[in-house]
Amino acid sequence: MCDTCGCQLHEHHRHDTKVVEVNRSLLEANQKQAESNRHHIEHMGALAINLISSPGSGKTTLLERTIDALKASCAIGVIEGDIETERDADRIRAKGVPAVQLTTGGACHLDAPMVHGGLHVLEHFAKGRPFDLIFIENVGNLVCPATFDLGEHRRVVLLSTPEGSDKPAKYPATFKSADLVLITKSDLLPHFDFSVEEAASQARLLKPELEILTLSATTGDGFATWLAYLRQLLAQRSPHVH
Amino acid sequence: MHELSLAQSLITQILALAAEHGACKVSRVVVTLGPFSGVVRDSFEFGFSILKQEQEPVRDAHLELETPDPEYRCLDCGKVAVIPFPRQSDRLELARCGLATKKCPWCGSNRLSPQGGTELILNQLEME
Repeated sequence: MCDTCGCQLHEHHRHDTKVVEVNRSLLEANQKQAESNRHHIEHMGALAINLISSPGSGKTTLLERTIDALKASCAIGVIEGDIETERDADRIRAKGVPAVQLTTGGACHLDAPMVHGGLHVLEHFAKGRPFDLIFIENVGNLVCPATFDLGEHRRVVLLSTPEGSDKPAKYPATFKSADLVLITKSDLLPHFDFSVEEAASQARLLKPELEILTLSATTGDGFATWLAYLRQLLAQRSPHVH
Repeated sequence: MHELSLAQSLITQILALAAEHGACKVSRVVVTLGPFSGVVRDSFEFGFSILKQEQEPVRDAHLELETPDPEYRCLDCGKVAVIPFPRQSDRLELARCGLATKKCPWCGSNRLSPQGGTELILNQLEME
């Protein structure tokens, strides 16, 4: 028996070893799907925003207030990522906006194939009506979601004041990948030892040109700047085909 | 924990390449993990070692991980420097001596901005 391949047909024989230079990203499959998602989203008429933060930093509350402010002037759709439950999608639907809940059943992040499925369901819900803005709320996690492009146009990372201003330094990959950082729950600043300056300087060490806004979705402080950011993005959208 | 999904996509990629090259067995896999890729080397190795058991062609594959040293640009003097991560075993000692914060070797500033280093690349396969 050949003890290299285990076959019974012959004695040991020579196995040719071949070295292949591959030089391809491990994220290749995800990246391809992400590009196709981006194209898909643009075809739906929309721009997509990937919201990343730790659990409980206010992603869904931010969306609720954003929807209240914008839904009269712009068609919004939401893809919610969570390990379990439809709670977040239900909160969004209560605002009269279609929402798809992706439950990952344990996975710590969304990936591009999951979002692809979500986009089709969202289109189905909307019966072919175009969208302007699609929010993808990632699984609450400051680590894993950073690695996976979902096909978004902008990546927004939230940092709430109770979490502490050292988070950009502690989770560099996530903050470095952000296009915009939102410091949320600014109404709680007087009660926590959070320095907006420290958080901003740590984040800008990772990415000097990073935009950072401070707001509270509860009181509405700073919210106008966030809405202006979104309106400006929408105004810059390239013309598209429905 | 996303190391497991990355190890899974590595195995999917390897199996496709093995089939493409008509190989029945993969003996060596060389992967580069960038220093700022956000991937934990040990978890990735562990994930690979578990998942490879399920696939005959990669069952005996040896995973070689290359981890290049991190590169930083100093936001004060603008120079670029390669500063290796301290070994896990040295970290406590460094912190005790107050040396845990890395500094620009040119000007001493601690405003060091990580450059690149986010790559996750399957470089080379050896197969039979």
